[in-house]
Amino acid sequence: MTVRPPTLREKRRYLLVRVEPAGTAIDQKELYYAIADAVTSLWGDAIAAVISQAVVAAEEGHVVIRCRRGSEKELVIALSTMTACRDTRIALRIIAASGTIESLRERIRDAQPEDPVGPGEPAEQEYCFGKNVYAIGNCNGQKVDVIEKGFKNAHRLFLTREDLEKP
Amino acid sequence: MKITDAAVYPYPNGDSSVRRMALEAKALGFDSIVAVDTPPQTYEGIEIVRGVLIQDVPMRDVIGKVKQARESHAIVSVHAKDNGFNRAVIGLKGVQILRGIQHADKLAFDHVTAKMAADNCVAIDIDLSALLAARGVARQRAIYRYRDVLIFERRFEFPLTLSSSARSVLDMRAVREISGLCSLIGMDMPDVEKALAGVGTVSTPPVPAVRVIP
Repeated sequence: MTVRPPTLREKRRYLLVRVEPAGTAIDQKELYYAIADAVTSLWGDAIAAVISQAVVAAEEGHVVIRCRRGSEKELVIALSTMTACRDTRIALRIIAASGTIESLRERIRDAQPEDPVGPGEPAEQEYCFGKNVYAIGNCNGQKVDVIEKGFKNAHRLFLTREDLEKP
Repeated sequence: MKITDAAVYPYPNGDSSVRRMALEAKALGFDSIVAVDTPPQTYEGIEIVRGVLIQDVPMRDVIGKVKQARESHAIVSVHAKDNGFNRAVIGLKGVQILRGIQHADKLAFDHVTAKMAADNCVAIDIDLSALLAARGVARQRAIYRYRDVLIFERRFEFPLTLSSSARSVLDMRAVREISGLCSLIGMDMPDVEKALAGVGTVSTPPVPAVRVIP
């Protein structure tokens, strides 16, 4: 198949999206199906075909989603209705829209976490919140995601540094 | 004008602490949040207002609970039921928000209730979780009910509030996303801004139309 000349190609836009909670393993294919489900559920097949969304990159907690130019608003609304990917609860935060993937990659490089937990840092320590003991799962500035210690019901809580106490 | 999320449910009702929710609200473009069953405070510049939600109780218990809540200066919301209950609640002094209108029956909110809400400055809540989490018929029904409420709002001009009903920071949405979601129910940008300031409207005492100057 010959490549179309640039004037005959359809114009596309790319959305940079941050996946929360931080540290969630993103499977590009799973995310594509979850987004397609959200778009079709909200707008129907006809508009989903116009949007023609696709996940083109997933790196460092960020995802680049492609759509047809002019349909960004519909895609953003559909993305805001996404609450889960498979069985994992997620939220997609729209960071930027651009005509090229490269400019969004620069944004990803600029958006490094303020205070990531490194190996051997407080992540190994235990903290108390309420009556339970938690380990730090992810840490970014004031924001701390903790996971309950134990074999069963390992719930994730979203707290701040001030909420945590030493056991 | 303060941009406020009219209901969030922090820990232990949800999985996020109220401080974390305040941080998230700040990042998402809010000035304040109404946190159910949480003491009032300010964190990182975000005002956390105490909210009281009354639901699944008969009318006589509602009266008692509203009296208790009025003393604590909380934002009092009552979950909508049938038409008679809603009219009684709207006429009750101290009730500021009627929520859950999308779950009530079709005739629960009519033109008489709308007029009463406007006269008593009681806001009707648009719960965005019904648009976010629901799929299919449930979401269609919510959109239909909210569009119906907006028809009355344009005629009678009662206050509206917007709430995410977030039990987690993952359920919270940015102001820009909220305006996009509200476009689904026929709200334009000025409507959204007015609704986001709705908590401020119902919590400040009304200015009398006539002022006596001694």
